[in-house]
Amino acid sequence: MQTNFTAAQLEKPEIAVANNILRTCVHCGMCTATCPTFVTIGDELDSPRGRIYLIKDMLENDRAASQEEVLHLDRCLSCLSCMTTCPSGVDYMHLVDHARVHVNETYQRPLTDRLLRGVLAQILPYPKRMRAALNLARLAKPFAFLLPGESMLIKRMRAMLNLAPAKMPAPQSLGGTVHKAIGRHNGRVALLAGCAQQAIGPSINTATIELLNRLGIEVVIPEAAGCCGALVHHMGRHDEALEAAKRNVNAWSDGAEYDAIIVNTSGCGTVLKDYGFMLRDDAMAAKAAAVSAKTMDISEYLLKIYEPTSVPPDITVAYHAACSLQHGQKITAAPKTLLRKAGFKVVEPKDPHLCCGSAGTYNIMQPDIAASLRRRKLDTLKAKSPDVIAAGNIGCLTQLAGDGIPTVHMVELLNWMAGGPKPAALNGV
Amino acid sequence: MQQAKPKPGILDKRAEIIAGLQAILPERAVIGDNISLKPYETDGLSAYKQMPLAVVLPETEAHVVAIMKFCNLHGVRVIPRGAGTSLSGGALPMADAVVIGMMRMNKILDINYADRYAVVQPGVTNIAITQAVQDEQFFYAPDPSSQLACMIGGNVSMNSGGAHCLKYGVTANNLLGLRIVTIEGEILEIGGKQMDAAGYDWLGLITGSEGQLGILTEVTVRILRSPEGARAMLAGFASNEVAGQCVDAIISSGIIPVALEFMDKPAIHACEDFAHAGYPLDAEALLIIEVEGSETEQSEMLARIRDICAAYHPVSMRVSQTAEESAAIWKGRKGAFGAVGRISPDYLCMDGTIPTSELPNVLKRIQAMSDEYGLKVANIFHAGDGNLHPLIMFDANDAESFHKAEAFGADILKLCVEVGGCLTGEHGVGIEKRDLMSVQFTPSELDQQRRIKSAFDPAWLLNPSKVFPLSGLAAAE
Amino acid sequence: MMSPDTEDALAEIIRTASGPLLVQGNGTKAGMLRPVQASATISTANVAGITLYAPNELVMSAKSGTRLVEIEAALAKAGQQMICEPPHIHGENQTIGGIVGSNLSGPRRVTGGAMRDHVLGVRAVNGNGEILKFGGRVLKNVTGLDVGKLLTGSFGTLAVMTEITFKVLPVSEATGTVVLSGLDAVRGVAALSAGLGSPFSVSGAAYLPHEKKVFLRIEDFASSVKYRTEKLASQLAEFGAAAILDTDASKIFWRDVRDCKFLDDAPAMWRLSVVPSAGPAILAALAPLGVTGFLDWGGGLVNLSGPANEATHQAVCDAARAVGGMWWLMRAPDPLRTAVDVVPPEPPALAAIRARVQASFDPRGILNPGRLRAA
Ligand SMILES: Cc1cc2nc3c(=O)[nH]c(=O)nc-3n(C[C@H](O)[C@H](O)[C@H](O)COP(=O)(O)OP(=O)(O)OC[C@H]3O[C@@H](n4cnc5c(N)ncnc54)[C@H](O)[C@@H]3O)c2cc1C
Ligand code: SF4
Ligand code: SF4
Repeated sequence: MQTNFTAAQLEKPEIAVANNILRTCVHCGMCTATCPTFVTIGDELDSPRGRIYLIKDMLENDRAASQEEVLHLDRCLSCLSCMTTCPSGVDYMHLVDHARVHVNETYQRPLTDRLLRGVLAQILPYPKRMRAALNLARLAKPFAFLLPGESMLIKRMRAMLNLAPAKMPAPQSLGGTVHKAIGRHNGRVALLAGCAQQAIGPSINTATIELLNRLGIEVVIPEAAGCCGALVHHMGRHDEALEAAKRNVNAWSDGAEYDAIIVNTSGCGTVLKDYGFMLRDDAMAAKAAAVSAKTMDISEYLLKIYEPTSVPPDITVAYHAACSLQHGQKITAAPKTLLRKAGFKVVEPKDPHLCCGSAGTYNIMQPDIAASLRRRKLDTLKAKSPDVIAAGNIGCLTQLAGDGIPTVHMVELLNWMAGGPKPAALNGV
Repeated sequence: MQQAKPKPGILDKRAEIIAGLQAILPERAVIGDNISLKPYETDGLSAYKQMPLAVVLPETEAHVVAIMKFCNLHGVRVIPRGAGTSLSGGALPMADAVVIGMMRMNKILDINYADRYAVVQPGVTNIAITQAVQDEQFFYAPDPSSQLACMIGGNVSMNSGGAHCLKYGVTANNLLGLRIVTIEGEILEIGGKQMDAAGYDWLGLITGSEGQLGILTEVTVRILRSPEGARAMLAGFASNEVAGQCVDAIISSGIIPVALEFMDKPAIHACEDFAHAGYPLDAEALLIIEVEGSETEQSEMLARIRDICAAYHPVSMRVSQTAEESAAIWKGRKGAFGAVGRISPDYLCMDGTIPTSELPNVLKRIQAMSDEYGLKVANIFHAGDGNLHPLIMFDANDAESFHKAEAFGADILKLCVEVGGCLTGEHGVGIEKRDLMSVQFTPSELDQQRRIKSAFDPAWLLNPSKVFPLSGLAAAE
Repeated sequence: MMSPDTEDALAEIIRTASGPLLVQGNGTKAGMLRPVQASATISTANVAGITLYAPNELVMSAKSGTRLVEIEAALAKAGQQMICEPPHIHGENQTIGGIVGSNLSGPRRVTGGAMRDHVLGVRAVNGNGEILKFGGRVLKNVTGLDVGKLLTGSFGTLAVMTEITFKVLPVSEATGTVVLSGLDAVRGVAALSAGLGSPFSVSGAAYLPHEKKVFLRIEDFASSVKYRTEKLASQLAEFGAAAILDTDASKIFWRDVRDCKFLDDAPAMWRLSVVPSAGPAILAALAPLGVTGFLDWGGGLVNLSGPANEATHQAVCDAARAVGGMWWLMRAPDPLRTAVDVVPPEPPALAAIRARVQASFDPRGILNPGRLRAA
């Protein structure tokens, strides 16, 4: 597609990158069809092609972001379904990442919006703060219905409260721990413990570590590694994102040799795999690229070594493909292969490419679209009459919980069939 | 490309028109600010751009009626738009026109397997119809390569075809009925759920009319039972001529495969890079041939076809053994345009049809033009029905390159007409081929068509400046 | 009667005509729809002859006065055929212009498409005497408005076609017919639906009420016909045991279906196009009035004959209308054809557009006035 940048504009490296991306787009429109927001809203502006065009115009004219552009960029889930579809290989991810930085730098959000984003950025990446906040939210949850009106702020607050689990799990703090392999020694990996995950889904890390240990893999969680930075990255808070990336790259390159850096929250995995690009102009570029190259989703890593040991129960698992896995990392078969190998009957919903609406903080910031995507996903999942819904990302599990079908991380099911405990969520099944 | 002159007075009344539309439509159904309008300035043919006056997004037929009555009353032009994948600029806006985006009308209203039809709204995508009926082993036959995204309203308006229309026909052959809103806001029911309709064939006239006659609000399509199975084979040849002769021989033998697709060398390479389907890179020309039926029937039919191909000394021949292999073969073919997008920043996709026997001759002359213009071209050909897609590669950031590409394209289409073919087999005239219409039609033939448009749209408010040379619009006004 | 030899001469006659013209080929369909009041008759009978036949491109062009039998013979010689199997209900003298002008299709229409689906191009003379061509000789063409389709089935009321190019297909190696017996019309149509909903490409689907029999045709390579008829018969086992007709028997049977040989010689004849599942109810509703017939197109084409009077005609129309269907009065004495709606009337908005379209071709209203509807 034609672009109109001046030579001076093209000298800026980010603009040069954006220009290259824009030039690969032939404006064919194929991506619109698989974009969750286009399917839901029915407006070119809420489609990938429309967003690409909005971004193009904003950057070409060197214009501060306006309310209109922000509205449609904010609605983008960053699910990257469009990239899976695009026959021309358009790198939408890096284009929208750049646009979000541009928005962050040039657009003054309304006060309530700014406060909320600030609060989320200050809480979610920190397990302890997150836990405290969730405890508060849990206490407030029964009163959510008292929040008056249908303003966006109120809806967002209600959405936030609704995400709080009814029961808080025991706290988990894995930073700086090493978990030795059991019996044999086949390898050594670093595990990204996740931030929100430690607060609301500690059983996932436990199952991951147990399973890996039993397969002869030592698991290390370096003290210095923390939040992957996805959250601030998607808010366009470029500096904070880079800071998180650098801290983690250092933590995993401190001399210890890992076969892989394992991620069991696929949303984070996509970002880790992008550290190389994010830090491409930094002194740490090479180290960052090495970290990205070593990053593996737990399902990728398990594919070669997983061996079930238990007799499988007769359970139908609906596999929900997290966008970060299927689109962000192009991992589609591995989780299903593993679940089948473990002996489960695996089914998939119609339109598996569509996002469930979780998408980081999306379900808080865009409660209406998120709710409609959640409903659609749950309906299509339930149409396959599963006993349990499994996914590889905590965000999706939280989003899909509370509708009568238990949700578990697939690693918990795999661990169960390899000698681990039955996932608590399955106690009724 | 020259745009028609805005109607006097309309641009000045823009604010009023937008306010008027807002008054008759729900919230967020009217787009009127210049930033938000920008992405609507073009469609699948992004070389042409024009900002519209406003965009409206109706959700119901009643909204469409209200919009049409409003626009008719105020003399405002309207441009229907589906998914905006037209490759001829069919949905290109005009400065003084309201674009009616149909994508919110995306519901499947009725499916009837006993009587084998589905009733859908125009914003339903082509593939969504098949997806809705495939659990019962049915499908909707026309399969444009854009089927994932393009909408049935656009398909009807363009009379779209696809790789499998050699056996199953194009859109026009798979429709039973339509609802259409005229510029006066009247709802016409055309055809129905039965096969034949009495009186004039309005269904046939409206299909392929490129939004010139009214806005489609409902489409009744035929659905068919899927065959037991299908299998594709690849045959690579040493020259375009031999591949062309082989196509002739297959058809002459009485075999009509479900699909019979041809690619020349540049196309083979581009698609193979993208799909990794195992296309023969050493061949000058490739045929993709697909047959249907039970396993045994497929094997028998493919054996016959292989025997025929063998006589033309193929450089390679391969029958797909698995569903995955067949899927990869079609992924390459259906992703061909995008695949070319990977090797060239921009392409113009031509769409002439030629008598199949002219293929070698036409390809030779296209190659000569390619050398002359200094622009590369890849050719994809629906060999069974003569529909040729030369993809001209150019650089849109270089004005001269674009003008050359346009001229090259025009020369190819003139050549198609010269050898007994036509300007467009499935992508429509749109704005792109508007000025070439007089190559194919005499003035009285064009006038007759314009008069038919006038019978539906006396003031030429519906997608004017497309299909007919601009003099038609001027005359109508 | 004027029977010009060339298109030019024909155009000249129309250009200089001073009043209404009855437009016809060999006039075999004069008894169909409404009679035309015209001072002169113009026939295309002498504008005849096949002008192009490219079997490997699946196209033929013929001047409109060419007799259908001549075309069919030429195609048969090359192992090809007309796809829609035009019926020979009006004898062997009918021209290709007449078949296209009336858009009449036979049994294969159910999956192969109607005459209108196979018209690729036409040359025609409009009411101003202008010679126009639309479409062409290629299989796929969306250049401009599809005037060829508009002229197909327009009964000479818009323009006089002088040459027609159409798609043809090879004759299949073999034909087979699955016959199911002892089924009432409702069960019969259910069996037809099941057959058409099977993966075996059924190319003919008829029900004969007087025999209580269902017929499903398969046309393909010999081995496929064998396989498909057997498989189809077993899939339809719930409808009872099946007999299978071989190629020769099938060809005779389907020719009779095509030519409506199963209709009585009653003075009036109708053709109804409805949703297939509505066919049985129509037969049932009209039988008490002495109107009988049979079903083709899976139940969607109801061929009927019966007494020629207004009340009966009205009942036929009502039966069609009740299921959203269409009717054509195919045969009746002139007074009846003049008095009634021989095809369904149009809603006012469409009638206005139709009148304008008609005027755009024939501003003086001289071509077959009143043929479809009272002027
Ligand atoms: C990658 C790619 C591959 C393609 N492959 C094929 C192919 O194989 N075969 C093929 O035939 N085409 C193909 N096309 C072209 C295009 O997809 C078709 O023309 C398609 O039918 C357009 O549908 P749309 O919904 O995008 O309509 P649009 O592009 O939005 O509109 C097309 C035309 O229809 C009119 N229109 C749309 N909706 C309505 C309505 N409701 N009422 C009245 N008028 C309406 C518009 O005004 C316009 O004139 C391809 C395009 C792309 C980008
Ligand atoms: S599919 Fe790719 S090339 Fe096509 S419009 Fe979307 S991003 Fe652009
Ligand atoms: S990332 Fe997802 S929501 Fe965003 S444009 Fe792409 S498909 Fe749409």
